[in-house]
Amino acid sequence: MLLNKKTLVRKGAMLFASSMLFISCGSETPKEEEVVVVDTVAVEESEEVSYNLPSPLQIASIFKKSGLKYKDGITSTQKDITKYTTKLSKAINLGVYSADLSYTVLNKQSQEAMNYMKLCRQLADNLGIGSVFDQGNLSARFEKNLSNEDSLAYIIAELQMVTDMYLDENEQQEITSIVFAGAWVESMYVGSKAYEKAKDKELNNKLSEQMTILKSIVNALKADVKRDAAISTLVADMEAIQAVYAELASVKAFNAEDENAEINLSDEEVAQLTKKIEEIRNKFING
Amino acid sequence: MKKIVYLSSIVLVAVFGFTTIQTQDNCDKKTITTNLKKKLEPFKYDSQKFTKINFTKKAQELEVEVPVFIGEKYRVVFNTSGLPKPININIYTKDKESKKREAVYTVKDLKPGGETEFVFDAPRLRKMFIDYSVPADSTASPTQKLSGCVAFMVGYK
Repeated sequence: MLLNKKTLVRKGAMLFASSMLFISCGSETPKEEEVVVVDTVAVEESEEVSYNLPSPLQIASIFKKSGLKYKDGITSTQKDITKYTTKLSKAINLGVYSADLSYTVLNKQSQEAMNYMKLCRQLADNLGIGSVFDQGNLSARFEKNLSNEDSLAYIIAELQMVTDMYLDENEQQEITSIVFAGAWVESMYVGSKAYEKAKDKELNNKLSEQMTILKSIVNALKADVKRDAAISTLVADMEAIQAVYAELASVKAFNAEDENAEINLSDEEVAQLTKKIEEIRNKFING
Repeated sequence: MKKIVYLSSIVLVAVFGFTTIQTQDNCDKKTITTNLKKKLEPFKYDSQKFTKINFTKKAQELEVEVPVFIGEKYRVVFNTSGLPKPININIYTKDKESKKREAVYTVKDLKPGGETEFVFDAPRLRKMFIDYSVPADSTASPTQKLSGCVAFMVGYK
């Protein structure tokens, strides 16, 4: 009996589909190879250039070593965190408080340090990352070691590590960049305000040295805009500081090719930079 | 109706047969972080970065910029245990667009099953650019790719 055209097409299609099934089964991993995770989602390519920003504690430590003394009332006095309603403002001010926490710890201001630790915890809770404070009993250990600067600094470093891990595992790496931007602006504010009174050469050098990483901060934030479009406003704020600095005569005269060269800003130039940093910092803490 | 069912099942089988992508990933971040921290002592933890590596038919150069500061001492610890195949690691003081640059640290010619932790105590530097040179994988295909992670941790004192 001759097969009609319809039946022929149907049987041919079934044969084709069956052979596809056998081929895909044949390409499965052989049993002797160890398969840890089988991921059937499209593979994401890593960025060709990425950034690894330092911690707020390191920045505070650098300023401390340069001779920055503690000045009462210079850190953020904004204690009403309900003002921070967006993810961006919460993360920026977590950075501000982190910088203030580091500054007060390194200057043995234990009660103020405890206050900033609590504010950091509250903002972290609002961001959904507060559980990092419970890891390794960090909050309890902090309270227990209030009189020991070295122990507190170690605990803050450990908190930074668990936070970095948490944000990486939960695909929230953009929070790291935002927090650091907030912390950096706050540290620069504290440093530049201290310079207004002291006019210390070492502090002057540290202020201009810190400006060298602003480009990295801006680039890191720009890379994260695709994760959170709101970051673009923070990019604009940081670029505004960058623009003021780039126009200073000492910066224009600086030879970037000379690896040993340092920028020495005049008092007038530091004042111009301080004015812009203060404007952006106040914008941050006022929500 | 029967025709639709037949055609739909053919299409479904063909789609699954061609487009399932299988990868292997050994990136145990918690263990890697613990091991990195041990190698970092006595430097204080500052930051760390995990970079996902996908082995494709094309070689890749991935760069991580790490700002550092004069006057501070740094240690960078690498862990490659999360990789299914070896890569090369170089640290430069200029970015990959620079015409003349020399590596201040190199890890290369790694053997599978060999050493996976590497320590670099940095000299006086203003910036570090960590470059991962990922070799091409001739076995990579649209349906099967190897992937893993490389991590580093930065400490200072």
